[in-house]
Amino acid sequence: MKKILAWMLAAMMVLGCGAAMADTFVHGIDPEYDPFSYMGPDGEYTGFDVEIARAACEVAGLDYEIFPVNWDTKEVQLDAHECDVIWSGMTIKQSMIDAGYVISAPYYDSTQVLVVRADSDIKSSADLAGKIVAVQLGTSGEDLLHGELADLTATFQELVTTENFLTAFTNLEGNAVDAVFVDLPVADKYAKEHDTVTILDEELGKEQYGLLFRAEDQELCAKIEAAVQTLVENGTYAEIAAKYPSIENNLLFLQAK
Amino acid sequence: MTLTTMFLKMGEGFGKTCAIFFLTLLFSLPLGMLVALLRMSRNRLVSALTRGVISILRGTPLMLQLLAVTYGPYYLFGISVSRNKLIPVVTAFAINYAAYFAEIYRGGIESMPVGQYEAAQVLGYTRKQTFLRIILPQVIKRILPSVTNEVVTLVKDTSMAFTVSYQEMFTIGKQIANSQTSFIPFLVAGLFYYVFNLLVDFAMGRVEKRLSYYR
Repeated sequence: MKKILAWMLAAMMVLGCGAAMADTFVHGIDPEYDPFSYMGPDGEYTGFDVEIARAACEVAGLDYEIFPVNWDTKEVQLDAHECDVIWSGMTIKQSMIDAGYVISAPYYDSTQVLVVRADSDIKSSADLAGKIVAVQLGTSGEDLLHGELADLTATFQELVTTENFLTAFTNLEGNAVDAVFVDLPVADKYAKEHDTVTILDEELGKEQYGLLFRAEDQELCAKIEAAVQTLVENGTYAEIAAKYPSIENNLLFLQAK
Repeated sequence: MTLTTMFLKMGEGFGKTCAIFFLTLLFSLPLGMLVALLRMSRNRLVSALTRGVISILRGTPLMLQLLAVTYGPYYLFGISVSRNKLIPVVTAFAINYAAYFAEIYRGGIESMPVGQYEAAQVLGYTRKQTFLRIILPQVIKRILPSVTNEVVTLVKDTSMAFTVSYQEMFTIGKQIANSQTSFIPFLVAGLFYYVFNLLVDFAMGRVEKRLSYYR
Protein backbone atom coordinates (compact mmCIF):
# COMPACT_ATOMS: atom_id res chain seq x y z
CA MET A 1 0.00 0.00 0.00
CA LYS A 2 2.78 2.43 0.92
CA LYS A 3 4.58 1.57 -2.26
CA ILE A 4 1.51 2.34 -4.33
CA LEU A 5 1.10 5.67 -2.56
CA ALA A 6 4.73 6.53 -3.20
CA TRP A 7 4.32 5.78 -6.89
CA MET A 8 1.19 7.87 -7.09
CA LEU A 9 2.94 10.79 -5.42
CA ALA A 10 5.86 10.50 -7.79
CA ALA A 11 3.50 10.46 -10.75
CA MET A 12 1.69 13.55 -9.48
CA MET A 13 4.99 15.39 -9.28
CA VAL A 14 5.74 14.49 -12.88
CA LEU A 15 2.31 15.78 -13.85
CA GLY A 16 2.71 18.94 -11.82
CA CYS A 17 5.56 20.54 -13.71
CA GLY A 18 5.21 22.68 -16.82
CA ALA A 19 4.10 26.18 -15.86
CA ALA A 20 2.75 28.89 -18.15
CA MET A 21 4.98 31.68 -19.41
CA ALA A 22 4.15 35.32 -19.86
CA ASP A 23 4.89 37.35 -23.00
CA THR A 24 4.68 34.32 -25.21
CA PHE A 25 2.41 34.49 -28.20
CA VAL A 26 0.73 31.12 -28.48
CA HIS A 27 -0.44 30.56 -32.02
CA GLY A 28 -3.43 28.23 -32.29
CA ILE A 29 -3.45 26.33 -35.58
CA ASP A 30 -5.43 23.63 -37.27
CA PRO A 31 -2.55 21.20 -37.87
CA GLU A 32 -4.43 19.67 -40.80
CA TYR A 33 -5.03 22.71 -42.97
CA ASP A 34 -2.64 22.66 -45.85
CA PRO A 35 -1.25 25.11 -47.09
CA PHE A 36 -2.01 27.56 -44.25
CA SER A 37 -0.86 25.32 -41.41
CA TYR A 38 0.24 21.72 -41.55
CA MET A 39 3.01 19.34 -40.58
CA GLY A 40 5.91 19.76 -42.98
CA PRO A 41 8.06 16.97 -44.42
CA ASP A 42 10.54 17.34 -41.54
CA GLY A 43 7.81 16.78 -38.97
CA GLU A 44 7.67 20.44 -37.86
CA TYR A 45 4.57 22.60 -38.25
CA THR A 46 4.73 25.01 -41.15
CA GLY A 47 2.50 26.73 -43.70
CA PHE A 48 1.76 30.27 -44.81
CA ASP A 49 0.06 31.37 -41.58
CA VAL A 50 2.75 29.78 -39.44
CA GLU A 51 5.58 31.51 -41.30
CA ILE A 52 3.85 34.90 -41.22
CA ALA A 53 2.99 34.57 -37.52
CA ARG A 54 6.55 33.60 -36.66
CA ALA A 55 7.94 36.58 -38.58
CA ALA A 56 5.34 38.93 -37.06
CA CYS A 57 6.34 37.83 -33.55
CA GLU A 58 9.94 38.64 -34.33
CA VAL A 59 8.91 42.14 -35.38
CA ALA A 60 6.68 42.59 -32.32
CA GLY A 61 9.28 41.17 -29.94
CA LEU A 62 7.15 38.29 -28.69
CA ASP A 63 8.21 34.73 -27.99
CA TYR A 64 6.52 32.41 -30.45
CA GLU A 65 4.90 29.11 -29.67
CA ILE A 66 2.61 26.84 -31.70
CA PHE A 67 -0.43 25.12 -30.28
CA PRO A 68 -2.39 22.68 -32.47
CA VAL A 69 -6.08 23.01 -31.62
CA ASN A 70 -8.95 20.64 -32.15
CA TRP A 71 -10.88 22.56 -34.82
CA ASP A 72 -14.38 21.69 -33.51
CA THR A 73 -13.58 23.20 -30.12
CA LYS A 74 -11.20 26.01 -31.11
CA GLU A 75 -13.27 28.78 -29.46
CA VAL A 76 -13.31 26.88 -26.18
CA GLN A 77 -9.55 26.47 -26.35
CA LEU A 78 -9.07 30.16 -27.11
CA ASP A 79 -11.40 31.17 -24.24
CA ALA A 80 -9.53 28.92 -21.88
CA HIS A 81 -6.22 30.69 -22.68
CA GLU A 82 -4.69 27.62 -24.24
CA CYS A 83 -3.65 29.83 -27.11
CA ASP A 84 -3.79 33.58 -27.76
CA VAL A 85 -5.09 33.54 -31.31
CA ILE A 86 -6.74 31.27 -33.84
CA TRP A 87 -4.83 32.03 -37.03
CA SER A 88 -5.09 29.19 -39.45
CA GLY A 89 -7.02 29.86 -42.62
CA MET A 90 -10.01 30.63 -40.45
CA THR A 91 -13.18 31.95 -42.05
CA ILE A 92 -14.64 34.99 -40.30
CA LYS A 93 -18.17 34.11 -39.28
CA GLN A 94 -20.98 36.36 -38.13
CA SER A 95 -21.44 34.16 -35.06
CA MET A 96 -17.89 34.98 -33.94
CA ILE A 97 -18.54 38.73 -34.20
CA ASP A 98 -21.82 38.31 -32.33
CA ALA A 99 -20.05 36.39 -29.57
CA GLY A 100 -17.81 39.42 -28.98
CA TYR A 101 -14.48 38.08 -30.21
CA VAL A 102 -11.90 40.52 -31.53
CA ILE A 103 -11.29 39.82 -35.21
CA SER A 104 -8.44 41.20 -37.31
CA ALA A 105 -8.85 42.79 -40.70
CA PRO A 106 -9.40 40.04 -43.30
CA TYR A 107 -6.28 38.94 -45.18
CA TYR A 108 -7.54 36.33 -47.62
CA ASP A 109 -10.46 35.99 -50.04
CA SER A 110 -11.79 32.51 -50.18
CA THR A 111 -14.69 30.66 -51.65
CA GLN A 112 -16.28 27.26 -51.36
CA VAL A 113 -16.18 24.85 -54.29
CA LEU A 114 -17.41 21.39 -55.16
CA VAL A 115 -14.95 18.62 -55.89
CA VAL A 116 -16.18 15.62 -57.89
CA ARG A 117 -14.62 12.55 -59.48
CA ALA A 118 -12.93 13.31 -62.79
CA ASP A 119 -15.36 11.06 -64.67
CA SER A 120 -18.45 12.35 -62.83
CA ASP A 121 -21.47 13.67 -64.75
CA ILE A 122 -22.05 16.35 -62.11
CA LYS A 123 -21.31 19.66 -63.83
CA SER A 124 -22.78 22.17 -61.39
CA SER A 125 -24.55 22.38 -58.03
CA ALA A 126 -27.86 21.89 -59.88
CA ASP A 127 -26.84 18.29 -60.66
CA LEU A 128 -26.52 17.45 -56.98
CA ALA A 129 -30.18 16.51 -56.50
CA GLY A 130 -30.38 13.04 -55.01
CA LYS A 131 -26.60 12.83 -54.55
CA ILE A 132 -24.49 12.31 -51.45
CA VAL A 133 -22.24 15.24 -50.49
CA ALA A 134 -19.45 15.31 -47.91
CA VAL A 135 -18.23 18.28 -45.85
CA GLN A 136 -15.74 18.60 -42.98
CA LEU A 137 -17.16 18.94 -39.49
CA GLY A 138 -16.81 22.43 -38.01
CA THR A 139 -15.78 24.17 -41.24
CA SER A 140 -17.45 27.23 -42.72
CA GLY A 141 -18.62 25.01 -45.57
CA GLU A 142 -20.74 23.06 -43.13
CA ASP A 143 -22.27 26.30 -41.81
CA LEU A 144 -23.04 27.46 -45.34
CA LEU A 145 -24.82 24.24 -46.21
CA HIS A 146 -26.98 24.56 -43.11
CA GLY A 147 -27.53 28.30 -43.47
CA GLU A 148 -27.35 30.28 -46.71
CA LEU A 149 -27.31 27.20 -48.93
CA ALA A 150 -29.93 25.22 -46.99
CA ASP A 151 -32.16 25.09 -50.07
CA LEU A 152 -29.39 23.39 -52.02
CA THR A 153 -28.74 20.99 -49.14
CA ALA A 154 -32.40 20.01 -49.13
CA THR A 155 -31.99 18.53 -52.63
CA PHE A 156 -29.17 16.17 -51.53
CA GLN A 157 -29.93 12.56 -50.79
CA GLU A 158 -27.63 12.92 -47.80
CA LEU A 159 -25.06 15.32 -46.33
CA VAL A 160 -22.16 13.42 -44.77
CA THR A 161 -19.89 15.17 -42.25
CA THR A 162 -16.36 13.82 -42.08
CA GLU A 163 -13.73 14.44 -39.48
CA ASN A 164 -11.08 15.76 -41.86
CA PHE A 165 -10.47 16.51 -45.55
CA LEU A 166 -8.59 13.33 -46.23
CA THR A 167 -11.53 11.12 -45.27
CA ALA A 168 -13.86 13.31 -47.31
CA PHE A 169 -11.69 12.96 -50.43
CA THR A 170 -11.12 9.25 -49.85
CA ASN A 171 -14.88 8.77 -49.61
CA LEU A 172 -15.19 10.61 -52.90
CA GLU A 173 -12.57 8.55 -54.71
CA GLY A 174 -13.97 5.36 -53.19
CA ASN A 175 -17.42 6.17 -54.57
CA ALA A 176 -19.07 6.51 -51.15
CA VAL A 177 -19.99 10.15 -51.80
CA ASP A 178 -20.58 12.02 -55.06
CA ALA A 179 -19.12 15.43 -54.21
CA VAL A 180 -17.07 17.17 -51.54
CA PHE A 181 -17.86 20.73 -50.45
CA VAL A 182 -14.64 22.41 -49.41
CA ASP A 183 -12.56 25.62 -49.26
CA LEU A 184 -10.93 26.44 -52.59
CA PRO A 185 -7.25 26.35 -51.45
CA VAL A 186 -7.67 22.86 -49.99
CA ALA A 187 -9.47 21.62 -53.10
CA ASP A 188 -6.83 23.20 -55.30
CA LYS A 189 -3.94 21.46 -53.62
CA TYR A 190 -5.65 18.08 -53.56
CA ALA A 191 -6.76 18.27 -57.20
CA LYS A 192 -3.21 19.19 -58.26
CA GLU A 193 -1.85 16.05 -56.63
CA HIS A 194 -4.65 13.70 -57.67
CA ASP A 195 -5.96 13.63 -61.23
CA THR A 196 -8.82 11.35 -60.14
CA VAL A 197 -10.78 14.39 -58.97
CA THR A 198 -11.72 17.72 -60.48
CA ILE A 199 -13.00 21.04 -59.17
CA LEU A 200 -16.27 22.43 -60.52
CA ASP A 201 -16.01 25.96 -61.86
CA GLU A 202 -18.68 27.39 -59.59
CA GLU A 203 -18.07 29.56 -56.55
CA LEU A 204 -20.52 28.97 -53.76
CA GLY A 205 -20.40 31.56 -51.01
CA LYS A 206 -17.67 34.15 -50.71
CA GLU A 207 -15.81 34.36 -47.45
CA GLN A 208 -12.74 35.90 -45.90
CA TYR A 209 -10.07 34.66 -43.55
CA GLY A 210 -9.03 36.52 -40.42
CA LEU A 211 -7.45 36.17 -37.00
CA LEU A 212 -9.57 35.43 -33.93
CA PHE A 213 -8.63 36.92 -30.56
CA ARG A 214 -10.36 36.89 -27.17
CA ALA A 215 -12.67 39.83 -26.46
CA GLU A 216 -10.20 41.50 -24.07
CA ASP A 217 -7.22 41.22 -26.41
CA GLN A 218 -7.89 44.31 -28.53
CA GLU A 219 -4.35 45.51 -27.87
CA LEU A 220 -2.72 42.25 -28.88
CA CYS A 221 -4.71 42.23 -32.10
CA ALA A 222 -3.53 45.75 -32.96
CA LYS A 223 0.05 44.82 -32.14
CA ILE A 224 0.00 41.77 -34.41
CA GLU A 225 -1.77 43.65 -37.21
CA ALA A 226 0.90 46.37 -37.06
CA ALA A 227 3.65 43.75 -37.15
CA VAL A 228 2.10 42.08 -40.20
CA GLN A 229 1.83 45.50 -41.87
CA THR A 230 5.57 45.97 -41.30
CA LEU A 231 6.17 42.64 -43.03
CA VAL A 232 4.04 43.74 -45.97
CA GLU A 233 6.01 46.97 -46.27
CA ASN A 234 9.47 45.46 -46.05
CA GLY A 235 8.62 42.77 -48.58
CA THR A 236 8.90 39.77 -46.24
CA TYR A 237 5.19 39.11 -46.67
CA ALA A 238 5.44 38.83 -50.45
CA GLU A 239 8.55 36.70 -50.10
CA ILE A 240 6.76 34.16 -47.91
CA ALA A 241 3.64 34.29 -50.10
CA ALA A 242 5.73 33.39 -53.15
CA LYS A 243 6.37 29.98 -51.55
CA TYR A 244 2.64 29.24 -51.62
CA PRO A 245 1.55 29.83 -55.24
CA SER A 246 -1.88 28.24 -54.75
CA ILE A 247 -3.02 31.01 -52.40
CA GLU A 248 -0.80 33.92 -53.47
CA ASN A 249 -3.38 35.51 -55.77
CA ASN A 250 -6.08 35.83 -53.14
CA LEU A 251 -4.00 37.52 -50.45
CA LEU A 252 -5.61 40.90 -49.78
CA PHE A 253 -2.52 42.70 -48.49
CA LEU A 254 -0.70 42.00 -51.73
CA GLN A 255 -3.58 43.10 -53.94
CA ALA A 256 -3.75 46.52 -52.27
CA LYS A 257 -0.37 47.43 -53.69
CA MET B 1 8.26 12.98 -45.54
CA THR B 2 10.60 10.03 -45.19
CA LEU B 3 9.45 6.90 -43.41
CA THR B 4 12.11 7.49 -40.75
CA THR B 5 10.77 10.96 -39.92
CA MET B 6 7.28 9.52 -39.79
CA PHE B 7 8.32 6.79 -37.34
CA LEU B 8 10.30 9.28 -35.24
CA LYS B 9 7.42 11.74 -35.09
CA MET B 10 4.88 9.05 -34.26
CA GLY B 11 7.28 7.46 -31.81
CA GLU B 12 7.40 10.79 -30.01
CA GLY B 13 3.62 10.72 -29.83
CA PHE B 14 3.77 7.11 -28.69
CA GLY B 15 5.69 8.25 -25.59
CA LYS B 16 2.68 10.40 -24.72
CA THR B 17 0.34 7.50 -25.45
CA CYS B 18 2.34 5.38 -23.01
CA ALA B 19 2.21 8.16 -20.41
CA ILE B 20 -1.60 8.15 -20.56
CA PHE B 21 -1.66 4.36 -20.40
CA PHE B 22 0.63 3.79 -17.42
CA LEU B 23 -0.54 6.76 -15.35
CA THR B 24 -4.18 5.80 -15.92
CA LEU B 25 -3.54 2.26 -14.69
CA LEU B 26 -1.55 3.54 -11.74
CA PHE B 27 -4.42 5.69 -10.54
CA SER B 28 -7.49 3.78 -11.69
CA LEU B 29 -6.62 0.31 -10.35
CA PRO B 30 -6.48 1.42 -6.67
CA LEU B 31 -9.25 3.99 -7.16
CA GLY B 32 -11.46 1.25 -8.60
CA MET B 33 -11.03 -0.80 -5.43
CA LEU B 34 -12.07 2.17 -3.32
CA VAL B 35 -15.14 2.72 -5.50
CA ALA B 36 -16.01 -0.99 -5.33
CA LEU B 37 -15.86 -0.96 -1.52
CA LEU B 38 -18.03 2.19 -1.37
CA ARG B 39 -20.47 0.56 -3.78
CA MET B 40 -20.78 -2.45 -1.46
CA SER B 41 -21.00 -0.30 1.67
CA ARG B 42 -23.69 -1.24 4.18
CA ASN B 43 -24.60 2.42 4.37
CA ARG B 44 -27.50 2.68 1.91
CA LEU B 45 -26.78 6.33 1.09
CA VAL B 46 -23.10 5.77 0.27
CA SER B 47 -23.92 2.73 -1.82
CA ALA B 48 -26.68 4.49 -3.76
CA LEU B 49 -24.51 7.56 -4.37
CA THR B 50 -21.62 5.48 -5.67
CA ARG B 51 -24.00 3.57 -7.86
CA GLY B 52 -25.20 6.84 -9.39
CA VAL B 53 -21.65 8.03 -10.07
CA ILE B 54 -20.72 4.72 -11.72
CA SER B 55 -23.85 4.90 -13.81
CA ILE B 56 -22.91 8.37 -15.12
CA LEU B 57 -19.30 7.39 -15.81
CA ARG B 58 -20.25 4.27 -17.70
CA GLY B 59 -23.27 5.81 -19.38
CA THR B 60 -21.65 8.83 -21.04
CA PRO B 61 -18.95 8.84 -23.74
CA LEU B 62 -15.36 9.11 -22.58
CA MET B 63 -14.90 11.89 -25.13
CA LEU B 64 -17.49 14.00 -23.31
CA GLN B 65 -15.86 13.29 -19.96
CA LEU B 66 -12.51 14.41 -21.36
CA LEU B 67 -14.01 17.72 -22.47
CA ALA B 68 -15.80 18.15 -19.12
CA VAL B 69 -12.70 17.48 -17.03
CA THR B 70 -10.46 19.68 -19.20
CA TYR B 71 -12.70 22.68 -19.79
CA GLY B 72 -15.36 22.31 -17.06
CA PRO B 73 -13.24 23.95 -14.33
CA TYR B 74 -12.57 26.92 -16.58
CA TYR B 75 -16.18 27.54 -17.53
CA LEU B 76 -17.56 26.89 -14.05
CA PHE B 77 -14.94 28.52 -11.81
CA GLY B 78 -12.66 30.47 -14.14
CA ILE B 79 -9.69 28.25 -13.29
CA SER B 80 -7.30 28.45 -16.23
CA VAL B 81 -6.77 25.28 -18.22
CA SER B 82 -3.59 23.41 -17.46
CA ARG B 83 -0.80 23.88 -20.00
CA ASN B 84 0.24 20.33 -19.28
CA LYS B 85 -2.63 18.46 -20.91
CA LEU B 86 -1.54 15.20 -19.36
CA ILE B 87 -3.16 16.23 -16.06
CA PRO B 88 -6.79 16.55 -17.24
CA VAL B 89 -6.38 13.67 -19.68
CA VAL B 90 -5.12 11.25 -17.04
CA THR B 91 -7.71 12.50 -14.54
CA ALA B 92 -10.56 11.82 -16.96
CA PHE B 93 -9.20 8.43 -18.00
CA ALA B 94 -8.48 7.35 -14.40
CA ILE B 95 -11.97 8.27 -13.19
CA ASN B 96 -13.63 6.58 -16.16
CA TYR B 97 -11.61 3.38 -15.91
CA ALA B 98 -12.00 3.26 -12.12
CA ALA B 99 -15.75 2.93 -12.64
CA TYR B 100 -15.26 -0.11 -14.90
CA PHE B 101 -12.63 -1.68 -12.63
CA ALA B 102 -14.92 -1.13 -9.62
CA GLU B 103 -17.64 -3.24 -11.18
CA ILE B 104 -15.14 -5.95 -12.09
CA TYR B 105 -13.84 -5.99 -8.52
CA ARG B 106 -17.37 -6.12 -7.13
CA GLY B 107 -18.24 -9.04 -9.37
CA GLY B 108 -15.15 -10.85 -8.13
CA ILE B 109 -15.73 -10.12 -4.45
CA GLU B 110 -19.40 -11.06 -4.55
CA SER B 111 -18.62 -14.33 -6.29
CA MET B 112 -16.81 -15.63 -3.22
CA PRO B 113 -18.93 -18.19 -1.29
CA VAL B 114 -20.33 -17.07 2.09
CA GLY B 115 -18.92 -20.25 3.59
CA GLN B 116 -15.43 -18.82 3.40
CA TYR B 117 -16.39 -15.83 5.53
CA GLU B 118 -18.05 -18.13 8.05
CA ALA B 119 -15.03 -20.42 8.17
CA ALA B 120 -12.71 -17.45 8.65
CA GLN B 121 -14.91 -16.17 11.47
CA VAL B 122 -14.80 -19.56 13.20
CA LEU B 123 -11.02 -19.54 12.90
CA GLY B 124 -10.94 -16.19 14.63
CA TYR B 125 -10.06 -13.90 11.69
CA THR B 126 -11.16 -10.30 11.96
CA ARG B 127 -13.19 -8.85 9.08
CA LYS B 128 -10.18 -6.95 7.79
CA GLN B 129 -7.97 -10.04 7.94
CA THR B 130 -10.61 -12.13 6.20
CA PHE B 131 -10.83 -9.67 3.34
CA LEU B 132 -7.12 -8.99 2.87
CA ARG B 133 -5.73 -12.50 3.47
CA ILE B 134 -8.44 -14.83 2.24
CA ILE B 135 -10.88 -13.12 -0.08
CA LEU B 136 -8.74 -10.60 -1.97
CA PRO B 137 -6.02 -13.00 -3.22
CA GLN B 138 -8.66 -15.28 -4.70
CA VAL B 139 -10.56 -12.35 -6.19
CA ILE B 140 -7.46 -11.06 -7.96
CA LYS B 141 -6.91 -14.42 -9.59
CA ARG B 142 -10.50 -14.67 -10.64
CA ILE B 143 -10.87 -11.22 -12.19
CA LEU B 144 -7.56 -11.09 -14.03
CA PRO B 145 -8.97 -12.01 -17.48
CA SER B 146 -11.62 -9.27 -17.23
CA VAL B 147 -9.00 -6.76 -16.11
CA THR B 148 -6.81 -7.68 -19.09
CA ASN B 149 -9.80 -6.96 -21.30
CA GLU B 150 -10.09 -3.44 -19.94
CA VAL B 151 -6.35 -2.83 -20.13
CA VAL B 152 -6.26 -3.80 -23.80
CA THR B 153 -9.19 -1.47 -24.46
CA LEU B 154 -7.36 1.31 -22.64
CA VAL B 155 -4.43 1.06 -25.04
CA LYS B 156 -6.75 1.83 -27.92
CA ASP B 157 -8.84 4.39 -26.04
CA THR B 158 -5.80 6.62 -25.54
CA SER B 159 -6.41 7.92 -29.07
CA MET B 160 -9.46 9.71 -27.65
CA ALA B 161 -7.14 12.31 -26.11
CA PHE B 162 -7.17 14.14 -29.46
CA THR B 163 -10.48 15.77 -28.38
CA VAL B 164 -8.55 18.08 -26.05
CA SER B 165 -5.67 18.34 -28.54
CA TYR B 166 -3.23 16.30 -26.55
CA GLN B 167 -0.63 15.34 -29.15
CA GLU B 168 -0.53 11.59 -28.67
CA MET B 169 0.41 9.15 -31.42
CA PHE B 170 -2.87 8.93 -33.28
CA THR B 171 -3.31 12.71 -33.35
CA ILE B 172 0.16 13.07 -34.88
CA GLY B 173 -0.63 10.26 -37.30
CA LYS B 174 -3.73 12.09 -38.52
CA GLN B 175 -1.72 15.26 -39.07
CA ILE B 176 0.89 13.42 -41.11
CA ALA B 177 -1.82 11.59 -43.05
CA ASN B 178 -3.34 14.95 -43.90
CA SER B 179 -0.17 16.72 -44.98
CA GLN B 180 1.03 13.73 -47.00
CA THR B 181 -2.45 12.74 -48.24
CA SER B 182 -1.57 9.17 -47.46
CA PHE B 183 -2.99 6.37 -45.34
CA ILE B 184 0.40 4.95 -44.37
CA PRO B 185 0.47 6.79 -41.00
CA PHE B 186 -2.72 4.95 -40.05
CA LEU B 187 -1.07 1.63 -40.84
CA VAL B 188 1.90 2.65 -38.73
CA ALA B 189 -0.46 3.62 -35.89
CA GLY B 190 -2.18 0.24 -36.13
CA LEU B 191 1.18 -1.45 -35.94
CA PHE B 192 2.17 0.54 -32.83
CA TYR B 193 -1.09 -0.34 -31.06
CA TYR B 194 -0.95 -3.99 -32.00
CA VAL B 195 2.63 -4.52 -30.89
CA PHE B 196 1.90 -2.72 -27.65
CA ASN B 197 -1.11 -4.90 -27.00
CA LEU B 198 0.90 -8.03 -27.78
CA LEU B 199 3.25 -6.98 -24.97
CA VAL B 200 0.32 -6.28 -22.63
CA ASP B 201 -1.12 -9.69 -23.46
CA PHE B 202 2.19 -11.37 -22.81
CA ALA B 203 2.72 -9.57 -19.50
CA MET B 204 -0.78 -10.32 -18.23
CA GLY B 205 -0.40 -13.94 -19.31
CA ARG B 206 2.75 -14.19 -17.20
CA VAL B 207 0.97 -12.71 -14.19
CA GLU B 208 -1.93 -15.14 -14.59
CA LYS B 209 0.48 -18.05 -14.75
CA ARG B 210 2.31 -16.96 -11.64
CA LEU B 211 -0.92 -16.66 -9.73
CA SER B 212 -2.21 -20.11 -10.68
CA TYR B 213 -0.26 -21.77 -7.90
CA TYR B 214 -2.97 -24.29 -7.08
CA ARG B 215 -2.88 -25.97 -10.47
